[in-house]
Amino acid sequence: MKYIPFFGCMMTTKYPWFEAAVRKTTAVIGMELVDIEGFTCCPDPIYFQAYDKIDWYTIAARNIALAEAVGHDIITTCSGCTATLSEVNLTLKKDMELKDKVNKRLKKIGMKYNGTINVRHAVTVVRDDIGFDRVAETVTRPLNHLKVGVHYGCHLLKPSHVMNVDDPDHPTILDRFIEATGAKPIHHEKTLLCCGRACMTDSISSNMVVDILESIKANNADCMGLICPTCFDEFDTGQIILGRKLKRNFSVPVIYSFQLLGLAQGMTLEEVGLNMHKVKFDKILEAVPA
Amino acid sequence: MSVENIQKINFEFREKLNSVAEGFRHNFCYQCGACVGDCPANNYSGTFNPRIILLKALLGMEKDLISPDSEIWNCTNCYTCWERCPQDVRPIDVIIALKNLCQRLGQAPDIIHKISNSVMESGITTTVTSATVRRREQYNLPPVRDYAVDEIKKIIGSK
Ligand code: SF4
Ligand code: SF4
Repeated sequence: MKYIPFFGCMMTTKYPWFEAAVRKTTAVIGMELVDIEGFTCCPDPIYFQAYDKIDWYTIAARNIALAEAVGHDIITTCSGCTATLSEVNLTLKKDMELKDKVNKRLKKIGMKYNGTINVRHAVTVVRDDIGFDRVAETVTRPLNHLKVGVHYGCHLLKPSHVMNVDDPDHPTILDRFIEATGAKPIHHEKTLLCCGRACMTDSISSNMVVDILESIKANNADCMGLICPTCFDEFDTGQIILGRKLKRNFSVPVIYSFQLLGLAQGMTLEEVGLNMHKVKFDKILEAVPA
Repeated sequence: MSVENIQKINFEFREKLNSVAEGFRHNFCYQCGACVGDCPANNYSGTFNPRIILLKALLGMEKDLISPDSEIWNCTNCYTCWERCPQDVRPIDVIIALKNLCQRLGQAPDIIHKISNSVMESGITTTVTSATVRRREQYNLPPVRDYAVDEIKKIIGSK
């Protein structure tokens, strides 16, 4: 099946090795990614949406319309892009008045949003279109000894009536993704807590990050597994900065879901970019024989 | 409390808020507080409270809500309150509407302008650095394409 990938600003510019992991692993499970020209920022669901919601809808609709013209669904690989593109797509499909408003603006550049495709996070597409059984069949090096502390992040799941991905209070999608790689998903007290990134007061978000990291450690997970480059930024680089500030060593390596799949499909640590992470990943190494 | 000190409703503010996208939703709030218990910004700050924000919106307490230091900027955008609200108020959407109003009235914090300007001027929120170019080559990824800045400029800001 063919999909149009939307990698977003953060992954494209700062964490390209996640993009590499997505491209390589999705090819193995039978997803064909078709790159198209002209995408911009989704735009950002926090700051840009706070700037002007109608501008936010419009730029998002332009991105979706580009994919509609080619005729394949979009897959997103970042929770932020999912929040914007999925929410805008699902809202515009239902709200005709808003759709007309947005289309009036798009007309100025000769474009039109029609609502003919879906936008879903790549892990949702893997579950719904490919199936985790098929994913498990592509695993040549099951990560049997790796315990992954699950971090869902907010925007894959919520608002649940818009996103329609999973039960926002008892989700299983990421657990099953991790299980397909042979690794063991570990739920912990703060599995569903937000990374706090959008909060303006640093102390509030850093306390959230500390609690999440501690909760993962207390449950003896070897690392943290997630689906969003922004959450990753908050927990990898953020962990180092916080550690220095608080004079503490958390040592919770963070892994992006498709890196995990890449390792399980036999890719090297370098191929999926794990060597680029700030927090050392010795425990992941132990679980993944050379 | 003397009668003079009783909070009077500022209807003008309500009208201003009603004019922003989703800004009408606060009118459905019946102050039950279901949005508070699982709000992480509430749990971690002890002061941020979506019910109180909604109450202030209903009363029209513009000074408290519309400023770059307003408590609304502590919302983490987690959408949990949307899940919990029995009235479909979507407190997060009211908070976003308040943020939009701040922006219109020149009361948004600098970061909002910094990031939105970046999208409008370069098409993205981050920057393409020499490391970006080098690493994309290293991982055999397609080069970064042009971001359609001209088109963005044409479709935003019009009423
Ligand atoms: S849950 Fe809804 S109705 Fe209840 S206080 Fe919060 S916004 Fe108002
Ligand atoms: S989105 Fe709602 S629940 Fe989440 S921090 Fe903001 S007000 Fe609280």
